[in-house]
Amino acid sequence: MTEPMLRLAAIHKRFGELEVLRGIELEVAKGEVVCVLGPSGSGKSTLLRCINLLEPPEQGEIFLEGKDICKGPGSPTGEQGWRLDFVRQRVGIVFQQFNLFPHKTALENVTMAPEKVLGRSAEEARANATRLLERVGLGDKLNEYPERLSGGQQQRVAIARALAMDPHVMLFDEVTSALDPELVKEVLDVMRELAEEGMTMIVVTHELGFARDVGDRVVFMDEGAIVEQGPPSQVLDNPREERTKRFLGLVLER
Amino acid sequence: MNEIIEQYFDLSQMSKHFDEVLDGFVITLELALVAAVLALIWGLILALLRQLPGKGFLPVRFLAIGYIDVFRGVPLLILILLISGSLAFLPLPEALTIPQWLGKPDNFWYGIMALVLVYGAYYAEVYRAGIEAVPSGQTEAARSLGMSHGQAMRNVVVPQAVRKVIAPMLNEFTALLKDTTLVSVIALNEVALVGRDIQSKTFNSSSLTLGAIMFLVIVLPLARLVDRLIARERARTSRGGTPTVMHH
Repeated sequence: MTEPMLRLAAIHKRFGELEVLRGIELEVAKGEVVCVLGPSGSGKSTLLRCINLLEPPEQGEIFLEGKDICKGPGSPTGEQGWRLDFVRQRVGIVFQQFNLFPHKTALENVTMAPEKVLGRSAEEARANATRLLERVGLGDKLNEYPERLSGGQQQRVAIARALAMDPHVMLFDEVTSALDPELVKEVLDVMRELAEEGMTMIVVTHELGFARDVGDRVVFMDEGAIVEQGPPSQVLDNPREERTKRFLGLVLER
Repeated sequence: MNEIIEQYFDLSQMSKHFDEVLDGFVITLELALVAAVLALIWGLILALLRQLPGKGFLPVRFLAIGYIDVFRGVPLLILILLISGSLAFLPLPEALTIPQWLGKPDNFWYGIMALVLVYGAYYAEVYRAGIEAVPSGQTEAARSLGMSHGQAMRNVVVPQAVRKVIAPMLNEFTALLKDTTLVSVIALNEVALVGRDIQSKTFNSSSLTLGAIMFLVIVLPLARLVDRLIARERARTSRGGTPTVMHH
């Protein structure tokens, strides 16, 4: 059996008294697109933040390309340089609020990490960033500052910025939730292309259409646990669990 | 009324001593500018030490906080006297205990030391406010791109923080500029001492008034500049200077 790209085993995460993740088990194969649905507060975002160790889990194991990324030298939760490098250079994340660097142009946002972290030359980073920004349809916005870009454009810059590190897995944390409705499509289209090119993706989203069309698998989470998962057609059209049915009913009512 | 004008605003006194007072004010400016540059650097170092993450750096954070609290609490005048009175007797290299750098006398540098020790602590607090005003999403974005804490601070957080605190920094500079007059107690010929000497010889305070007017010539435009910077920053953030949703 080939090793999955990502495997989570019995992940627990607590914020004080509140247990946000209660024993998550999840495998993601190379090239697979997993869409995670669930009500707010169900732990979806925390799950993504665990995977790139922004919020290291307290218990459980995360295997990235077969390597246990939670067990570095030193303390179990303390940040360790080598595994952070290993993880953060392989796992890209795009946030709901874009988090572009406002003091840098679109191009500089994309070149910064390859130059500073991977030690690429300015010309190489620039050429690669230009190519990525063209690919997300922003070839004419290279030298604009984020505040001069629309939300959809900013989010596409954020995707290009994450891709510039040549990630093996991309995490998307409700990346269209802060956008005006008419700007959602341009971002989803970029993600769709990325999926078609074979990127491994975990997408936390409320966009059922995207989950149905692009997702290989849909995972429904509630109260820090995975309630149900399977092919989109099964989970979205014939959910087995009562909680899934109720949630889908609420989302479709909107 | 005439006595007031004669005592404080005697134009003939002012013009007669103008050059002396101006020489003193030049020394005041030198003190303030050198001290401000060094305090800006020292304050940034303190602020960064205070922000170091993790358990291992707890003692460093503790020391930085302790330093900042103590030196914001110590009167500058007492610190000037402590340094100028005893530094020369300490078992340290003479270049340090009786500094004569750049052709300036030791009491100039004693004044600089005291100003930097105190204003470094003030500036550290200003930097901290700026660093804390940068949204945490910025650090998260930098860290998830693989940057270390230091890289994230240097490339992402500090450049944004500095932009946010230029106005309060200028306010601190105004305070520092005025506080340099305290260095007159260790016989440095800056503007207050020059004015006082003239006052005691002529029994007239107009030269001191002239010195005060020179301060105002610097300080008043600075105050207007600060207002404009604050207005500009406010316009920026209300337009969405930090990442927020934009409507086109």
